[in-house]
Amino acid sequence: MRVQTTRFGAVEVGDDRLLEFPTGLLGFSSFTRFALLQPDEEGVFYWLQSVDSADLAFVVTDPSRWCEDYEATIRREHMDILELEHVDDARVFVIVNKYDEALTANLQGPLVINLRARRGMQIVLSDQRWTTRWEIARLQQQTAARATA
Amino acid sequence: MLVLSRRRDESIIIGEDIQVTVVDIRGDKVRLGIDAPSAVCVHRKELRDAIRRENENSSDFQELPAVRRPA
Repeated sequence: MRVQTTRFGAVEVGDDRLLEFPTGLLGFSSFTRFALLQPDEEGVFYWLQSVDSADLAFVVTDPSRWCEDYEATIRREHMDILELEHVDDARVFVIVNKYDEALTANLQGPLVINLRARRGMQIVLSDQRWTTRWEIARLQQQTAARATA
Repeated sequence: MLVLSRRRDESIIIGEDIQVTVVDIRGDKVRLGIDAPSAVCVHRKELRDAIRRENENSSDFQELPAVRRPA
């Protein structure tokens, strides 16, 4: 389907990239349809672009790339909402944010996606090991490293 | 908002099967015990609020961060 976006104009998105978030994201519960876009196959970041609102898009990443011992506990009722039969069919993403030079990820409220049913939801983890602003990278250092490379 | 006064060890029932009990009161701190079916998520409100705020703050990237795969 054709998806209107403010960042990259109209993009054609295959059905296999469309996701239903029946409960929406916290604060955005009225937006339930998203497309997961990976502009750079080598990249570690994806866009979670709203299908219904052109300017609503989140940067997401796979948390296991940044935090080795990260784990999200998926409860039975989450599995029901996700129509998830096997935990192995689930993939976890986290929303990325930026505070000055710090690139952070929200490990407290991960997105769990059932790849088979193409359904996702944001879950709230009570685990106090994680935070909503887990620093994953320093933007300035990255720039400096590139400049000297 | 419904406001109820409860003493230590007293409870309220929400719906059919959610029970909230005042377990302890010390100064300005109240400890609550919550019995609810496992399908009901119970969280500290500030945790949900923090995640919601973070969602709201994070939707203004115009391009993907120029950070490569971590070493």
